[in-house]
Amino acid sequence: MLALPKAVRAEIVERARGGRPLEICGVLGGEYDPTGRSEVGSQYPAENVAEHPRTRYRIDPEEQLAIFDRLEARDEEIVGFYHSHPRGPPRPSETDAADATWSDRSYVIVSLEPFEVGSWRWREDDGFEREDVAVE
Amino acid sequence: MRVTVDVKGEDSRELELADVPTDAPEPTYADLLREVGLSPHEVSVLVDGRPVPEDQPVESERVTVLRLIKGG
Repeated sequence: MLALPKAVRAEIVERARGGRPLEICGVLGGEYDPTGRSEVGSQYPAENVAEHPRTRYRIDPEEQLAIFDRLEARDEEIVGFYHSHPRGPPRPSETDAADATWSDRSYVIVSLEPFEVGSWRWREDDGFEREDVAVE
Repeated sequence: MRVTVDVKGEDSRELELADVPTDAPEPTYADLLREVGLSPHEVSVLVDGRPVPEDQPVESERVTVLRLIKGG
């Protein structure tokens, strides 16, 4: 399960809407539990440096490292990541599954059409596993 | 030389560079990755905060490994 503060959810939805038609992405910091309840404390926006940002996202490694340093300086852990699907689907795409590398972390997807915010854990053996999102 | 491999989000690993198997004259960053069970396709390797080519020989005592964050 992923506990997502209402304010953080609002921030990433606003980014997703503002970034349309391109995908936006970022990192979620907080308290990480690989199988239980992870709690998001903050979101860290990142630039989408993918070659085709309408349908792909990628975070530059140098920015990724800078974000992790900021997150660790605030005693947060890497809870997961978020990105948008401006035109759906409201679930991980085949590309998401092919490119996922962070086992047990949460991958939050903001789909704009249809509108839905969901989260999935990447399991090394079973692929994406949907998890409940508690907006608090 | 002992090399600390800091895989972000996981534990750090310490390796003796001379013990890392390689087909090259000296162990490369790709060899280092293989030794900790990772593939160059799923990660970036950084030294002093900058990406380094995986086929280069290891010259640093501290290496940061980042799993890629990407998708569609």
